[in-house]
Amino acid sequence: MFHDQSMFQDYELPRLTALAPNLIGASFFLMKLLPARFVLDQAERYGHLKPGGRICETTSGTFGLALAMLSVARGYKLTLVSDNAIDLILQQRLRDVGTQLEIVEAAPGKGGIQRARLDRLHKIMADCPGTFCPRQYENPDNPSAYAAVAEQISERVGEIDCIIGTVGSGGSMSGLSRILRMVNPDLNVIGIDTPASFVFGQPDGARALRGLGNSLMPANVDHCQFDRVHWVTAPEAYQATRELHRNHALFQGGTSGAAYLVARWWAAQNPKSNAVVIFPDEGNRYTSTIYNDTYLQSLEGWSDRLPQSPIQVDDPRAEMPVWSCFDWNRQSINDVLLEKEYAHE
Amino acid sequence: MEQIVGIEQRTQSKRVIAFHNSPKPQHKMGMGTAFGHHGETIQGAARFDNNVTERFLVTLPCSELSAQANFIPSRDLQGEVVVSSCKTKSKQAAEATLRYLNRSSFGGHLELTSNIEEGFGLGSSTTDVVASIRAVGDTFDTTLRPEIIARLAVDAEMASDAIMFDGSCVLFAQRRGDVLSYLGSALPAVHVLSVNTAADQPINTLATPPARYSDWELQCFRALNGMLRRAIRMSDPNLLGRVATASAKISQHYLPKPAFADILSIASAHGACGVQVAHSGTVVGLLFDAHCARSATNMAGATKDLETIGMAPDFGFCTQLEGLKDVS
Repeated sequence: MFHDQSMFQDYELPRLTALAPNLIGASFFLMKLLPARFVLDQAERYGHLKPGGRICETTSGTFGLALAMLSVARGYKLTLVSDNAIDLILQQRLRDVGTQLEIVEAAPGKGGIQRARLDRLHKIMADCPGTFCPRQYENPDNPSAYAAVAEQISERVGEIDCIIGTVGSGGSMSGLSRILRMVNPDLNVIGIDTPASFVFGQPDGARALRGLGNSLMPANVDHCQFDRVHWVTAPEAYQATRELHRNHALFQGGTSGAAYLVARWWAAQNPKSNAVVIFPDEGNRYTSTIYNDTYLQSLEGWSDRLPQSPIQVDDPRAEMPVWSCFDWNRQSINDVLLEKEYAHE
Repeated sequence: MEQIVGIEQRTQSKRVIAFHNSPKPQHKMGMGTAFGHHGETIQGAARFDNNVTERFLVTLPCSELSAQANFIPSRDLQGEVVVSSCKTKSKQAAEATLRYLNRSSFGGHLELTSNIEEGFGLGSSTTDVVASIRAVGDTFDTTLRPEIIARLAVDAEMASDAIMFDGSCVLFAQRRGDVLSYLGSALPAVHVLSVNTAADQPINTLATPPARYSDWELQCFRALNGMLRRAIRMSDPNLLGRVATASAKISQHYLPKPAFADILSIASAHGACGVQVAHSGTVVGLLFDAHCARSATNMAGATKDLETIGMAPDFGFCTQLEGLKDVS
């Protein structure tokens, strides 16, 4: 019998490609399918989600798309709360599979767009009792889901020295690190964020690069797992995305480019160690942007030249006009920031 | 299972017909042996693709430990097996084997000898049971397949180890007696230094409650299984050691071994691949690469340190008998 309890089993796991003798790329079709599926499995198991029930989540990204795919396959009703930042193609795809989209606008002086989205979510949850909210930023099933990737890496590659990937909800990198460190406590973990993202201590602000970073602090980010953190700017990530395509014919999205930039550098610096780098989604959504030269050249601060190495910063709150990195040393965010506070006194 | 039983019974019934045609059947004494084990390389539970949670283990077989059973058939006993006291599991298993073979018109006397002490997680009970099942089969010239022995053993014992699978390494559902997957022909070649962490406190392994793993641990076991499959496929002792150590650490939450942290640091200080434990017992094994020239020195060093903390190893063995031979 063909067991496909998830409905998208063959879409969940990444495809592995050797990018260098010591570097393996793990390219996902849509990484968020894995946590979305596992979160729904657990909700079904513990009775939080009944057959034909309603799911509601606030998202403007691929977690929403994953929930939409699973809702179609498993017969759930789905409401997604988002804002105008959600791209039109994604909106179209979501509506096509029957997702109810609630686009909210920020009310002036009331905590910005994130607050407005959460308020709408809470209202829907109150109006429709029995609605299940996956809460990808806090739900511990999100990181747990990545055991399947750890299983795949362990079986196909064996022991690895380093794992490199972008951080948004904290699910993939925190989950993978914790599980892989059960067998290899020395595993080197490198997280990638973008300037003006709150996740690793930058002052929150407008960010051009989507799919990583956050304006809020997701509980699922386990800061103590990270040995080093890099911040990659949007133009650098876009340029690296194109190089990933040019050099390896991997057609991936912008977060994959950011990860590739850091991983390629790390692999060259550490020729005797091996690493796996996570590429979270494919490039189809970015044909009119990252894969469009005219668009790229119109970007403010666009440059054809890509830095060969990061700037080492000694404070994660520093201004980061270019690719920067900081030795996080597996500390909590409070420890890192407190240490900096004292250093400035 | 239905299919397997069907095949066995068909071959059996053919033989029975042949038998009735021959005059005055005489039945010989049947002999069976089974090797013991040294706990497990991994024991845990996980949710598989059909979303069912399964408990499983991969046994670490030990050819230093074994049991022998002699079965003397008797037509006077009719389905009943007589055995020395306290071997009730073996008695039940032998009687079930007679029924399985459609030989309940026979009973018999079962004699068991074993060098395995009870209560340390070395499989004394399953070893007796498997030797008994094999002895009964031997009386009727039947070599029972390991899958059948596993079912008969679990019926008698509730949960059993996978020692009936000589010559193959299986992921075994110990409470159903079922193979979840066939992992390969053998574990990587490692030398095991056996430490009994509580020699004066044997435990009733069958009464040990099954561990209630957290959702997180259930997920972790998936990753460990992936690494174990690779360790066996590549015959990689270091990966095996990594997996066994991780499983042993989880087991510490449920049946902690005294001095585990000390043993772990001694293993690491002397270049061991890792440690493994009896997940329902008291023994801990330090694993050393059998093909590594430094292992003999490393084991001597580890033995010395273990003696210092009052945990002197009782014995050592290799997972592959030919482990130390020079192939070239």
